[in-house]
Amino acid sequence: MAQIEIRDLGIDYRKPKSNEVFSAVDSVDLSVEKGEFVTIVGSSGCGKSTLLMAVAGLVDLTRGSIEIDGKRVDGPGPDRAVVFQEASLLPWRSVRGNVKFGLEMQRWSGGDLNERAMQMIRLVGLGRFSDYHPHQLSGGMRQRVNIARALAVDPEVLLMDEPFGALDAQTREIMGTELLRIWERAKKTALFVTHDIDEAIFLADKIVVMGRNPGHIKEVIKVDLPRPRNESILDSDAFHELRKRLRAHLAEDMSSMQLVQEVA
Amino acid sequence: MIAEFFYRRQALVLGTLSMIGIVVFWQIAVDTGFINPFFISTPSQVAAEFKVQFEDGSVATNVAATLYCFVWSLGLAALVGTILGMLAGWFADVESALEPFIWFKYSAPTVAFYPLFVAGLGYGTPTIIAIAFLFALTPIYANTLSGIKNTDRDLARAARSFGARPLDIFLRVALPGSVPVMMAGLRLGVGRALTGVVVAELFGANAGLGYAITYYGQLMQTTKMMVSIVIVIALGVLLTQILSFLETRTDSWRVDSGR
Ligand SMILES: Nc1ncnc2c1ncn2[C@@H]1O[C@H](COP(=O)(O)OP(=O)(O)OP(=O)(O)O)[C@@H](O)[C@H]1O
Ligand SMILES: [Mg+2]
Repeated sequence: MAQIEIRDLGIDYRKPKSNEVFSAVDSVDLSVEKGEFVTIVGSSGCGKSTLLMAVAGLVDLTRGSIEIDGKRVDGPGPDRAVVFQEASLLPWRSVRGNVKFGLEMQRWSGGDLNERAMQMIRLVGLGRFSDYHPHQLSGGMRQRVNIARALAVDPEVLLMDEPFGALDAQTREIMGTELLRIWERAKKTALFVTHDIDEAIFLADKIVVMGRNPGHIKEVIKVDLPRPRNESILDSDAFHELRKRLRAHLAEDMSSMQLVQEVA
Repeated sequence: MIAEFFYRRQALVLGTLSMIGIVVFWQIAVDTGFINPFFISTPSQVAAEFKVQFEDGSVATNVAATLYCFVWSLGLAALVGTILGMLAGWFADVESALEPFIWFKYSAPTVAFYPLFVAGLGYGTPTIIAIAFLFALTPIYANTLSGIKNTDRDLARAARSFGARPLDIFLRVALPGSVPVMMAGLRLGVGRALTGVVVAELFGANAGLGYAITYYGQLMQTTKMMVSIVIVIALGVLLTQILSFLETRTDSWRVDSGR
């Protein structure tokens, strides 16, 4: 059985100042194998974050179910860790203090907290910066801390919501390669939300393409590019092929979005 | 060297210079007959009188009496204000329940309660402490409340994703994040507690700087009165500076503090 089983998932939000509900995600079925790297793409507002937060146990499900290793999700748990879009680090704690934070919250009992935190900080390449505070770091460095904090609690599943969204294209590419290096070593199951088509292909074993109104899965695309990967695959024919396919999907979504705007 | 000192401590240097300027202006205005010394005395007379009062021990007596009431009122206000502020910031129901009192306090001047306190506590120290307590309470309460209430939602959510319980979020996210705002509230509270003590002493006391001010004021002994006024100002500046210093210590992690 797959590690993550999402069945007929639906999430409604209450519209502000009314009793109407708004369906953000509907009829989503998805299974993710252990150790698989799954990227989720789709136009803005199609429910990617909502889906990810549901798996994290941070939003309530309206319909359907999510199981991880056969256990129903009904809140956050030590089997999952989230890397948020905003680094959301505690500004009054050092890099090390931030990486320790998740461990403290989970009442980590697997040995010395400091040692564990330092190990993770070195893994993301910030060994020299462990005493820095978040405001002394660049955006990319903060996201590394964010990733180290999530990896430190040794989750089965790593949930990432556009962690590189705020970075420039070049830093983003470097971070992507770094992430793959770390992932190949840690062998975690990963769900990774992104806007960036190249990033989605480069990282993925499979790509989930989402559509809007309400958020649903349009297609799941397998990516059979060999691993370990580096930037050179960006120029391969297989990569171009996938890129074309994803572009077509997203263009379709954009035009339906314009239609909605014209009608409204 | 001097230029560098000036640059690094610009605020301090400028503040000191403007103070000196006022004192010099004060002296000159009186010496040239521009202002009648009967109303405001002169810096040199005040300095001489300060020496007299310092040597006969009345400075020490008055400062001790005022500081005694100050410490009690600030301590109580810090304790009560912080606890109530935390509760109100965390539990919206507590905030709603306390709201009428806050509006009441904002709209009615605190000194208006003076007769009530005198009726209950009599003239003197307990009433002075009670008035100054009320003076200092509001900023401490209000800042603690807003600090806790405006806890960064993203940080709270990140904490929850790691399995943090509400108490964890309060102690590890809300509280440390509120420390700078709470310190600012305390700094305001310090100034207001001192004002409260002196104002309450003006009305009725047996010792203290406010008492000395009314006492000599009623006797029209301006110079003797000015000694206590100057001491009050100096105390206020000193205490507020100490708190400002502590404040910069606690919020060094703030991105925009730039210090
Ligand atoms: N807390 C909420 N309350 C009400 N509606 C919400 C809430 N969070 C999200 N929504 C709505 O749900 C829809 C999906 O939002 P979501 O954040 O999941 O989109 P997304 O695909 O992650 O978008 P983006 O790529 O811009 O981050 C949006 O229309 C949004 O307005
Ligand atoms: Mg999103």
